[in-house]
Amino acid sequence: MANIASQRIKREFKEVIRSEEVARCSIKVELLDDNYSQLKGEIAGPPDTPYEGGKFLLEIKVPETYPFNPPKVKFLTKVWHPNISSVTGAICLDILKDQWAAAMTLRTVLLSLQALMASPEPDDPQDAVVARQYKGFPEIFISTAEHWTNIYAGGSRKKEEYSKKIERLMGIGCNMDQALVALSGCNWDLDKAIEQIFG
Amino acid sequence: MGYDVGRFCGSVDEELICPICVGVLEDPLQAPTCEHAFCKRCIHEWLNHQPVCPVDRQTITSVQLRPVPRILKNLLSRLTIMCENQSHGCSGIFKLDLLSSHLIECEHNPKKLIPCEQGCGFVVPKDEVKDHNCVRELRCTVQKQKQKINELQNQLSEHRFLINDLRRETSLLKEYMKVMRSTNPSVRAIVEEIERDEVVRWSNSLPRARVCRWGGMISTPDEYLQDSIKVALVESGCPSHIIDELMDNSHERNWPIGLKSLETRQSKRREYEKYICKRVPCKQAVVVLQIDNPLLDEDMMVEPGLVMIFAHGVE
Repeated sequence: MANIASQRIKREFKEVIRSEEVARCSIKVELLDDNYSQLKGEIAGPPDTPYEGGKFLLEIKVPETYPFNPPKVKFLTKVWHPNISSVTGAICLDILKDQWAAAMTLRTVLLSLQALMASPEPDDPQDAVVARQYKGFPEIFISTAEHWTNIYAGGSRKKEEYSKKIERLMGIGCNMDQALVALSGCNWDLDKAIEQIFG
Repeated sequence: MGYDVGRFCGSVDEELICPICVGVLEDPLQAPTCEHAFCKRCIHEWLNHQPVCPVDRQTITSVQLRPVPRILKNLLSRLTIMCENQSHGCSGIFKLDLLSSHLIECEHNPKKLIPCEQGCGFVVPKDEVKDHNCVRELRCTVQKQKQKINELQNQLSEHRFLINDLRRETSLLKEYMKVMRSTNPSVRAIVEEIERDEVVRWSNSLPRARVCRWGGMISTPDEYLQDSIKVALVESGCPSHIIDELMDNSHERNWPIGLKSLETRQSKRREYEKYICKRVPCKQAVVVLQIDNPLLDEDMMVEPGLVMIFAHGVE
């Protein structure tokens, strides 16, 4: 790995560890290999959002050309958010693309992601289905995002009604992820979800 | 890229750290308005990616970068740093501004160039000495030179071929001219005029010369001397139709009567000052052309002129 990249990550890793956000358990980062090219990040769902109480894991890949190019970041934890793909975890955030600047660090990236979770940009979506729901049915969006946070990220808020619908689908041979994706995408309309899976 | 913070004695102020490489600033430059400072190489590399300040994203270009203020340079030069060859045994600690002069002479620098002890003449980086093989290196050199010689030989034979071609064409043209001249009087007049113009042009291009020691004139120049003067004439652009005659006239057997015997030379010494002489570039020799000296007596001049070669005394 290029010298400058590993120097930077070494220092940024320490910066995150010593930061006050870590003290508040709001962000976390872990090394996955000795040459600082792969890391695992974790951010807490921001308070007063549907993600509150959840822990979201991130895959962080540092390119050879870091910091002249941004790190490649995606969500490992499934999340229901207009700017994050509910299928792949890919993130649509300008600073991870053309608005990257060389003085940004792992810490600022993690904090920016937290800020993105608190304020979605539905007009620049990564997941069109989620973005449509966010704009058209904001209440359903909030309860759906809470439900995902409960299932995948350990959040405490969930809707019994949603759990039952998921069980219904699982009862006729779907797995849980499949049922959740279909129901969330159909605004929890059971018939439409069934048609989407089996039709 | 900046210096590794770990090489410095004591802590280094955050202001002296490059935000790109997180090393201590090396050859720092700053952005024009926001004044953020970076290592020269780091900021140039970044601006290749995006023309904005890496810290605050203000638009900047390479040409707008400025040197950092003296105070920042002073703070940097006061830092003390360990030699980068520490792992090779150098224990030196230097002020940052003296580091580069130390590195050139650092005995522990694995890349320091040292001459091969076997006497092959190669200068080898210290860390490559143990793998250095005189025979192999020399052989490689010989190989390269052979290749070069081959290339040159090929070029040479191409040139020879070309020269022969040109020679043939020239002699054809000469023959042609000769025939034209002998059969057609008007052509003869034109050719003579062209040739005269050519001589005038050449004569005007040469600097005037003054002979201060007429006694230094060589009456029987040897072939080697004549050849070297002839080459100088050719290089100065001497028209080819008079060059041989000029050279022949450099020998006393072709001199005019007024120069011929020692006695006449002594009695006519004053007359010689009247010669209008032109310098043969880089040689102790002058050209005396008839067209430059139309008023001289016949016993002082020959057609179309002569080269006078001296042992010394031409200015």
